[in-house]
Amino acid sequence: MKKNGSRKRAPPPSQPPPAKHPSMTQEEEFMDEDVFLDETLLSADEESLILRDIEQRQALATRLSKWTRPPLDADYVVQSRSVVFQQLEIDYVIGESHKELLPNSSGPAAVIRIFGVTKEGHSVCCNVHGFEPYFYVCCPPGMGPDDISRFHQTLEGRMREANRNSNVGKFVRRIEMVQRRSIMYYQQSNSQPFLKIVVALPTMVASCRGILDRGIQLDGLGMKSFLTYESNVLFALRFMIDCNIVGGNWIEVPAGKYNKTARSLSYCQLEFDCLYSELISHPPEGEYSKMAPFRILSFDIECAGRKGHFPEPTHDPVIQIANLVTLQGEDQPLIRNVMTLKSCSPIVGVDVMSFDTEREVLLAWRDFIREVDPDIIIGYNICKFDLPYLIERAANLKIAEFPILGRIRNSRVRVKDTTFSSRQYGTRESKEVTVEGRVQFDLLQVMQRDYKLSSYSLNSVSAHFLSEQKEDVHHSIISDLQNGNAETRRRLAVYCLKDAYLPQRLLDKLMFIYNYVEMARVTGVPISFLLSRGQSIKVLSQLLRKARQKNLVLPNVKQAGSEQGTFEGATVLEARAGFYEKPIATLDFASLYPSIMMAYNLCYCTLVTPEDARKLNIPPESVNRTPSGETFVKSNLQKGILPEILEELLTARKRAKADLKEAKDPLEKAVLDGRQLALKISANSVYGFTGATIGQLPCLEISSSVTSYGRQMIEHTKKLVEDKFTTLNGYEHNAEVIYGDTDSVMVQFGVSAVEEAMNLGREAAEYISGTFTKPIKLEFEKVYYPYLLISKKRYAGLFWTKPDNFDKMDTKGIETVRRDNCLLVKNLVNDCLHKILIDRDIPGAVQYVKTAISDLLMNRMDLSLLVITKGLTKTGDDYEVKAAHVELAERMRKRDAATAPNVGDRVPYVIVKAAKGAKAYERSEDPIYVLENNIPIDPQYYLENQISKPILRIFEPILKNASKELLHGSHTRSISISTPSNSGILKFAKKQLTCIGCKALLSNGHHTLCSHCKGREAELYCKTVAQVSDLEMLFGRLWTQCQECQGSLHQDVLCTSRDCPIFYRRKKAQKDMAEARSQLDRWNF
Amino acid sequence: MGMERVQCSYHSQDEAFKIGKETYRGQQYSQIYFARLHLMRTLLYSIVPHWKPNFPVCTVLGLEEGKECVIVGTLYKHMKLKPCILDEYSKERSVVPLVKPHNFMHPDDHLVLEDESGRVKLSGNPISPSEYVTGNVVALLGKESGTGDFLVLEVLDAGLPPQIEFPIKSREDKYVVLVSGLSVGSSNSNPLQFQLLIDHITGHLGDEKEQSIASQIAHVVFAGNSVEIPRRLLNGQNLASKDLSKMAESIKELDILLSQIAASLPLDIMPGPSDPSNFSLPQQPLHTCLFPGSSAYNTFRSCTNPHCFELDNVRFLGTSGQNIDDLEKYSDAKDKLEFMERTLRWRHVAPTAPNTLGCYPYTDRDPFFIESCPHVYFVGNQDKFETRVLKGSEGQLVRLICVPKFCESGVAVMLNLRDLECYTLSFGTQFSS
Repeated sequence: MKKNGSRKRAPPPSQPPPAKHPSMTQEEEFMDEDVFLDETLLSADEESLILRDIEQRQALATRLSKWTRPPLDADYVVQSRSVVFQQLEIDYVIGESHKELLPNSSGPAAVIRIFGVTKEGHSVCCNVHGFEPYFYVCCPPGMGPDDISRFHQTLEGRMREANRNSNVGKFVRRIEMVQRRSIMYYQQSNSQPFLKIVVALPTMVASCRGILDRGIQLDGLGMKSFLTYESNVLFALRFMIDCNIVGGNWIEVPAGKYNKTARSLSYCQLEFDCLYSELISHPPEGEYSKMAPFRILSFDIECAGRKGHFPEPTHDPVIQIANLVTLQGEDQPLIRNVMTLKSCSPIVGVDVMSFDTEREVLLAWRDFIREVDPDIIIGYNICKFDLPYLIERAANLKIAEFPILGRIRNSRVRVKDTTFSSRQYGTRESKEVTVEGRVQFDLLQVMQRDYKLSSYSLNSVSAHFLSEQKEDVHHSIISDLQNGNAETRRRLAVYCLKDAYLPQRLLDKLMFIYNYVEMARVTGVPISFLLSRGQSIKVLSQLLRKARQKNLVLPNVKQAGSEQGTFEGATVLEARAGFYEKPIATLDFASLYPSIMMAYNLCYCTLVTPEDARKLNIPPESVNRTPSGETFVKSNLQKGILPEILEELLTARKRAKADLKEAKDPLEKAVLDGRQLALKISANSVYGFTGATIGQLPCLEISSSVTSYGRQMIEHTKKLVEDKFTTLNGYEHNAEVIYGDTDSVMVQFGVSAVEEAMNLGREAAEYISGTFTKPIKLEFEKVYYPYLLISKKRYAGLFWTKPDNFDKMDTKGIETVRRDNCLLVKNLVNDCLHKILIDRDIPGAVQYVKTAISDLLMNRMDLSLLVITKGLTKTGDDYEVKAAHVELAERMRKRDAATAPNVGDRVPYVIVKAAKGAKAYERSEDPIYVLENNIPIDPQYYLENQISKPILRIFEPILKNASKELLHGSHTRSISISTPSNSGILKFAKKQLTCIGCKALLSNGHHTLCSHCKGREAELYCKTVAQVSDLEMLFGRLWTQCQECQGSLHQDVLCTSRDCPIFYRRKKAQKDMAEARSQLDRWNF
Repeated sequence: MGMERVQCSYHSQDEAFKIGKETYRGQQYSQIYFARLHLMRTLLYSIVPHWKPNFPVCTVLGLEEGKECVIVGTLYKHMKLKPCILDEYSKERSVVPLVKPHNFMHPDDHLVLEDESGRVKLSGNPISPSEYVTGNVVALLGKESGTGDFLVLEVLDAGLPPQIEFPIKSREDKYVVLVSGLSVGSSNSNPLQFQLLIDHITGHLGDEKEQSIASQIAHVVFAGNSVEIPRRLLNGQNLASKDLSKMAESIKELDILLSQIAASLPLDIMPGPSDPSNFSLPQQPLHTCLFPGSSAYNTFRSCTNPHCFELDNVRFLGTSGQNIDDLEKYSDAKDKLEFMERTLRWRHVAPTAPNTLGCYPYTDRDPFFIESCPHVYFVGNQDKFETRVLKGSEGQLVRLICVPKFCESGVAVMLNLRDLECYTLSFGTQFSS
């Protein structure tokens, strides 16, 4: 049925495609954003256009329909069955209030949408009605029930003024007087009157708060400003807290309590309306701790960039999209396909779909998303690149119907720029793409959050976690492959598929689904919050939940900024630097900060203000004075909420660990392990929450007390150890504390056997634990032997947990991962530590360093070890200070714009020799260029700026004259510099053969050796051939490795991954090989 | 006492293994795989119609789920334990010292079949990952299973190549002596042992009977590792002239010993992994400047490794052992002879080259392809002497010989050209009880 068959195509909708309104979302400021349902929906005209479009693509549709979700059972259809589902995403929209469910309301109202999956794999969209946004203010003394209605009227009036163009009938729905208590400070009274202000829409909470903050004129009371409570709680989170829903748990809606929606708005199989009071939230235990079979889509796109430019959606087409769909809990993907622009040869096990136009590719992908209906969308850098690119590209091609990727029918995806800033993660610019009902899980973001790595390229992350190298095709080659034939596009497709496959592998390998769902369950926030928001919302969610049980409310204190001053951090005991060749026992406090908070009942609600301390007359035995001078009541007067949360977290962790031991099913194990990890992280983040000065509810009295106790404990431990373990007390040696960190103390008991040190360590831990308030506990875990202590927070040692064999080499704060060091430094440091600690061969280590330095000076060092890389984040002009990598990128652009690095690329460079006085940034050079032209590197730079500091740091505790011995010895005397082949003068030089033996110029008639060296022919030949032999071995190993990485034996290696450790080496091997062979050929005359 | 030494006609077939003017110009290894696949596929395609007349022949791309067909391609073995050069660079240095396993196989290893169009994972019992290695080209009968694997039902190797006819039996006994692993200059080489061997071959030893046997020796082959160059000394470091001349001394010693043989009968010397030759296969002949004494004789021939030649129309193929040693690291067999047999059936001397065995990056050919079946196939530098006659389906007969390391065993192998029987000559000077 083509209704509009004869009509001309409707012009593109007048409404601009997804508006990009840049907005600053500071991590710590939570703002609701109301989205009006009809705003995002397409008009009926447009919808029919799309429908027609779908008909046109019938063929594709049948292909896609293979992958739809399992059909609904009859009892679901007739609604005779309760719907039980695991929710993954909760949001809200503004719609008309539901007439049947809420006969007494009218006008716009917030509708909560819960998206989830049943255990049969059906998708669910549950529209929850009747939950209203609200917050509290403290009821001013003297305000009675009558005053409330007048207050209501005044507030309503002010709200109407502030929101003039809103057509909401009633802004403030009602004001109730309730009995609550503020969480702040110890109070003797149990409760006091509060006003609960219920407003019509979630955004009105902020606007109402603003009015009350600034002050409002009240009859009889005058101008009054109010401190608001819980006015910064996101609406969806408010709903979850009030309904006891935690992220990723199971929800049941009993039969008869839900109505199928009249006109389904979503693509979900089960869509219904219900009242919020009818929801049953199941705690994640037993049957309900399992995971539903979510559909996880992993995808990657390829764009054909122009030479010399990073792909831009305004110019460069999307040429391929690879997809992989996996059901949660299964190890094989359900669907593997790739959509290509122009023909592409088939790939085994992969559904290849080729299209003639880009429009078709994009629309095919949209249809694919709709049919497959993924619950979670994953990929690498999809949030910042792939998704926004697709959407902007479609907007550029004027495909208005493309961005309907969410679960809501005809609702466009929204893109906005955000800045995510957090103390812990730093400031990052990002794009936020709202795909309604689907959770986005960008593996790049996860990696950056959860792991400290030297590089976050997919290549190096996969190499690190999966031991899988991936071929890296430079984006300038991508266009060539695209413009080739079906075979070359197939090559590209294989590459694209791998990029879609690796994120899924990472997700599986690192158990992210389990860990994040469990984190959501433990902290109670939706899964999407875990990635898009900082740490504090997790603690806030737990605090709000606990406070609600206790009838407490949280004030919305003005952000204090950093003016409140900082407090003394966790100082450490001074490190007695040295190389310890006797076992060092390490005594650790188990969860020190949480234990301190529990032991001393530190909380918002137990803190006594200085005035109160004087006024309230609390008996001294009922309070604790902390070392930082604060007063907190003990738990017999008031049990703190934070200690209670911590207690629950730690008990739950113990239980999870115990269950983990019992569990047999690997999936159950994964859940439990994820849970115990989430519990541990959560417990540790509570302290940080109280100390975050721009946080939600900072309370420096708590955090400074915690650290002051911590310091005291370390000092106390040191004193006890050194007092008790002495020869006077009958021990063999006097114990000595050589170092103490935040939560551990290193003790040298003087004994030389690991086992004895372990026994003494255990004894000390037990003895000292006895002197602490519970649950603070000192544990003995490990022995370092030998131990190289460089300075505070910098050490290395062999790690022993059992007396017979060490577990590993442990290092902290030593240059092994920093990116702006060249590989040489990392290898040198590692190998030296290895020699010193494991081989116990200090002379060997010294010799090793000397050889390396001599190799460097004699130009024998492998170039790949000298490459330094830095990310190019903006173009040259934007940098204020000249930097080596920026200057180089500029120079490379002049040489060849096509292969020069662009913004966003990492720029590898080496420092080369240049005229005296040249600045370091002028001496940077492209390693490939250096290799090709024999440009001499600057060994002095590497010696002074790269190697010397880290090496001296290691050797100073060991050697007396480390610097003199290592950096200025006889091994630094001879220097050899290669002659550049591109310098001017050499072009005019006539090449004359020299003797291979003694480098003397050869007279005519001699080709290889001078007459003087003739007698040493055999040995000199051996030398030449041995060089060839070594290079051949290297050449073979390097190039077969690349062949292996790219996953094809019959095709040439194209990879240009500069992150790859053998990239330069392989290039060099090729060049050296040719040279060595020509040397060898000189013998065949 | 004039005893005449027997003579043989000799034809070298080493031309294919000479690298000559070919150089490294940035070519990669894909070309040799491609050349090999092309060569082998033409061959296999000619056999397939006899092997499975009723099944279609597909490419990896043309596979359809459930449809039984024959495909031909290069095998790639995914090996968990295979040492990887990347690890030497990027991985944290392992604390536990790396023990060099002699075999890198693991139960999780699996095979993948690849042609120019794509690759597919193989499953099914008929094809065992422990038997095949990366680089084999085979034909497979099977079908694509639902999971995208190719379920193998039957495997076809190329089989033994055709053989030139064995020369009509003469009544005369003529012997070829095969020696390997002299390792002159190494700590366990024993000069006396070697001198005894020379004296035996040249007829300076024993009574008349023994001398008459010696006179029937027509040819000697040194199958690699004749000297030992301390490779450690060579790794890029500048050598002290003292070390250099020490190294040259063992070569001089070898030259003196070889010239004693060359004075009385023809000898072939092949390079091996420890000789002063290049590393990659095919190893090029040892330079004559190393042998100023013996190379003066026209009986002295410096050859390639692999080495291929004909003596009185009996065809020999031999290597200094690298091909078989490498197979032993990456696959499994009951003995070394079985590995040798497999290389013949695969028609390829060194299937693991270039993957794990160094090899020159050929661009247009694969010299390791065995076109014609040898009558004698020997491999040097093995742990012990082993031999067997292999019979081919078309009547081919091949004498397989593992030549032991002489410096360790004191054993050389005597092969009778008349009937290809062989036995050992033992010059051990130390006997353990």
